Amino acid sequence: METVLEISGLTKLYKNGRGIFDINLNIYKGDVFGFLGPNGAGKTTAMKIMTGLMLPDSGDVKIFGHSVLTEFEKAMNKVGCIIETAESYPYLSPYENLKLFARFYDDIDNSRIDEVLELTGILKFKNEKVKNFSLGMKQRLGIAAAILSKPELIILDEPLNGLDVEGMIEMRKLIKMLAENERTTFFISSHLIHDVELTCNRIGILYNGKVVNVDTTENILKNFASLENYFVSEVGKNGNV
Amino acid sequence: MGTFKAAFINEVEKIYRKKKVVVAAILSLLAIVMGQLLVTGVNKGFGLITASSTQFPILVLSLLVNTILPLFTALVAIDVFSGEFSHNTMKITLTRPVSRVKLYTAKISAIAFFVLANLLMVMLLSLAVGFIFNSVSLSVFGILRIVLSYIVTLIPVMSFALIIVFLSNVLKSGTTVFFLSIILFIAFNALSLVFPRYANIFITSMFDWYILWNVDTIPLGKLIREFFIMAGYVIMFYTAGYYMFDKKDL
Repeated sequence: METVLEISGLTKLYKNGRGIFDINLNIYKGDVFGFLGPNGAGKTTAMKIMTGLMLPDSGDVKIFGHSVLTEFEKAMNKVGCIIETAESYPYLSPYENLKLFARFYDDIDNSRIDEVLELTGILKFKNEKVKNFSLGMKQRLGIAAAILSKPELIILDEPLNGLDVEGMIEMRKLIKMLAENERTTFFISSHLIHDVELTCNRIGILYNGKVVNVDTTENILKNFASLENYFVSEVGKNGNV
Repeated sequence: MGTFKAAFINEVEKIYRKKKVVVAAILSLLAIVMGQLLVTGVNKGFGLITASSTQFPILVLSLLVNTILPLFTALVAIDVFSGEFSHNTMKITLTRPVSRVKLYTAKISAIAFFVLANLLMVMLLSLAVGFIFNSVSLSVFGILRIVLSYIVTLIPVMSFALIIVFLSNVLKSGTTVFFLSIILFIAFNALSLVFPRYANIFITSMFDWYILWNVDTIPLGKLIREFFIMAGYVIMFYTAGYYMFDKKDL
């Protein structure tokens, strides 16, 4: 199995004593990895370090064999991501936003921009200013930006934030379609356990800044009635829910 | 180089798409109008010729470089750094395959591009106005001096801009940086008046560096000395600003 993302000994401690401690994790090609954890467990911190937004106190993250600390451009070349919130420039249209992002990659033409806008359902708004968009539409644009360069690894922090039920179903379909047809690897954090259960094939649980368990969804569902039961059980072993 | 070019084009596009640049352009044009009104008023009132067609652009430059240009350079520099941090849009570019050193340099290059574009626009318009409204004294040498005066002004303005860039990477609030920049601008000007012997240390006193390029015998020693002081400012604040930018957690 080809390792796409390798997290080793990742530690980041905040002044308030919280943070992440010695996280070790391998994500393999074709994984749709669900990163679960209660609020404040350290999911976003880990994802920020993975994408170069934050420096760790110690440890390293390698993406396709390249360290994000020392070979950032190579590491991020085949990565698309949304971290914390899907941001875009409000004074530009979705089309203009994507045009800006496209400049960082080779071979992204206007038809690819239209294609991702169509996939995320905002093609008809392509020339409207983003400042007039709802949270859900901004989230769709964020996802369009994340998949624009046909990345081999997509890191999504709460990708369903702000989406309505229809949007959630469409996003789930999109993730499954990309994972099956393009063999895209996903690293997804979400607090929507049911959605993670339906979308992800491997699950990792982060609690109090530590990875407490990693297993396949198939295995988990053999032993537990639902992912929620598994989550409660794993978190219960390590503290209180 | 490819990613630097992409980052630079994006930064220029972002600056150009904001209303501040339009306001800067309008106010710069206002500097030309004010300059022309001043010249016309003195000409008519006293029967004097105060500015020939080649002197007029220099008069406008002196107005521009001590008022509108530093103000809008500060606003653009703050927008490019503090503005993006506070609106959370900095992470859009930081999560693309471009290193922080390239992004930082691209942002500063975009600010320099804005300053230069502003200077060149005012230069061309003031030359045109000079030819139309003032007495004609066209010479290639005179025009070359005007072009040189406008272009060399980029250096002191960028030295000041890099101080603002550094502050934008140290302080969280763009408003605080803006007021601090104004205080700094006033303080530097006041200190260079109180301590004229040390005026060169206070960078704003070098905004009229173009004057040294515009005299009959160029004072080479003074010109080089002032250039090295500005280069010192540029190196110090570029490096310190980058250190802060690189270490910043989002």
